[in-house]
Amino acid sequence: MLFFRSEERVNEWCRDGGLPRRPLVSLEQLWQLAVAWYATRLDRSSRRPGPDEMRAIFARVGLLGPFWDPLSDSFGA
Amino acid sequence: MPDPDFDTRVKLAIYRHLADTTRAPSLQEVAECVRASSSQVEEGYARLCRNRVLVLESDGVTIRMAPPFSGVATQHRVRVGDKEYFANCAWDALGVPAALHAPGDVLSRCEQSGEPIHLYVHENGPDPEPCVIHFAVPAALWWKDIVYT
Repeated sequence: MLFFRSEERVNEWCRDGGLPRRPLVSLEQLWQLAVAWYATRLDRSSRRPGPDEMRAIFARVGLLGPFWDPLSDSFGA
Repeated sequence: MPDPDFDTRVKLAIYRHLADTTRAPSLQEVAECVRASSSQVEEGYARLCRNRVLVLESDGVTIRMAPPFSGVATQHRVRVGDKEYFANCAWDALGVPAALHAPGDVLSRCEQSGEPIHLYVHENGPDPEPCVIHFAVPAALWWKDIVYT
């Protein structure tokens, strides 16, 4: 999960490294994920989201499809 | 039967040490904090790893990740107050101010050009900045190699 200055830089990076171009996430979406995962991390009751919760969080921030499904078998899991 | 409260105390000892000092505690420091033996803490570490809130080095005792914090230096630095933390990835870089409930500066770089990327993160989110985040690994495979992810 890496920062890039622009989509063009991502495309160059994938091309240069022979890597598949995967979904992009905006800064605002990333912030919402950071809050969902970590806002309670230092609390006694905190825990990592389970698969259903993960799907719901991703859907809420507009990240849909098998790429974001933690139990998807579309990528050889 | 493992005591879930013990694992919670171990987890909190790790995270609070990281939050307070910016560095990962040693096994001995955690053992002293929770008043347990090193072997008991090691067993707690193993359970926390299975619950995906802790990643250890191959020695089984050195903390590599307690997400969003990194136990080793990375390209993602986060300044909060007078402290500077290392984060594991772009997501975790925003996760540090989110976890600490405090504003901070994320200092990272564009992975392709190397251009510095500086984000100012308020308590309600980052200031707008031209950048995008690329997720190279599908969610189902994140923990197959979490260090690469």
